[in-house]
Amino acid sequence: MPIIIISADARETEEGIAEKVAEAMGYTLLSPEIMAEIGTKNHLDPEQLCNELEATPHLFQKLLSCQWRHDLACIEGEVLERMLADNIVCQGLCAHLYVLGVSHAMKVRILSGDDRAAANQGLLEKTKRDRVVQCRQRKKWSMAAYGNDETDLSRYDLVINLGQIDPDEAVKTITHAAAFRKFQVMTYSIKCLANLALSARVTAVLLETMSDIRVESNDGSVVIFGKASNRNKLSKITKIKELAGKVKGVNFVEVHVKRNINPIS
Amino acid sequence: MSKPLEVLLLDDEPIVGKRLKPAIEKIGCVVEVFEDPIKAVERMDQKSFDILVTDIRMEGMDGLQVLDHVQKNSPRTKVIMITGYAKMDLAREAMGQGVFDFIAKPFRPDDLRKIILKAAKALGVPMDFPSQDYESTEP
Repeated sequence: MPIIIISADARETEEGIAEKVAEAMGYTLLSPEIMAEIGTKNHLDPEQLCNELEATPHLFQKLLSCQWRHDLACIEGEVLERMLADNIVCQGLCAHLYVLGVSHAMKVRILSGDDRAAANQGLLEKTKRDRVVQCRQRKKWSMAAYGNDETDLSRYDLVINLGQIDPDEAVKTITHAAAFRKFQVMTYSIKCLANLALSARVTAVLLETMSDIRVESNDGSVVIFGKASNRNKLSKITKIKELAGKVKGVNFVEVHVKRNINPIS
Repeated sequence: MSKPLEVLLLDDEPIVGKRLKPAIEKIGCVVEVFEDPIKAVERMDQKSFDILVTDIRMEGMDGLQVLDHVQKNSPRTKVIMITGYAKMDLAREAMGQGVFDFIAKPFRPDDLRKIILKAAKALGVPMDFPSQDYESTEP
């Protein structure tokens, strides 16, 4: 059965719809609650991990940026690994930005619509302004983290506006769409997901000690792209091969290191 | 003992048929190999196959057209698509049109055998070939 990834322009909307969909379908809900486990596994603070999904380090905070990328890779690795179990509804983990090319992952975007309670209290304009600011921040974050704009609705398989569709109807629409043949699991899509999971695990390991790393995987074979100065090139390749080779599931490592004039990485 | 599964294998690259035929026969299927989709369709008009394994990009008729023909003439046949040009959109399109499974090339023969065993089960003729019986027998 498909994986349903739910994101929204407001956190409470995302949580509410995801919980209802998971309940209606009898699926496991994957939410930020798993941060505690990710933290324990990777010796990281769960609160910091949650914060990494919200805050973008400043362009010049090189060290913070490295830590941020490492933490994101740890989150990705764990989320993708759990998605391999199937029958999952996912929210609050930004999976819509890194689960790419997996045909049985249905991405749903929920638009909160006008808040009726706020309208009744005459606070509608303020709520709208807050949402615009929030959207701008999310766009900035998603572009910095994954080079994708999460507010671009063309990225999603299904978009529902709660201003026009009631939440219960939205849940029914999502569960109905999830049954479409197009979103069913196939050998190809499971492999795509497994490849993404392996890439994320390798990336997390490498980013503990280095930066500027990109990893592609295919069935246990891993291709790693990095940067190094001419002087450090060979030692970097050796180090990458050693570290990546130890990751569970890796059976072949190929490394491509380009020249980098920046001596820090 | 039940009747062996009849499999038609269609790929315009001769090496694919040459390599996969013995791999599928190993689990007890009877396999006919075709490189020309037109001839494969003519054969399927004469004889009903349990499983069709087909490439997508082929001269004359592509895999999705072959699928369409099979669905009209032999709806019971399970169609497995194999392609070297796998992308999410194509996978979804094929799945939406009713393929049983979709797999990207290159793959291990064992991957295809597992899908065929799954298809056999869906056809109501489960085959008794535990994985260890044929694992690691292919390069």
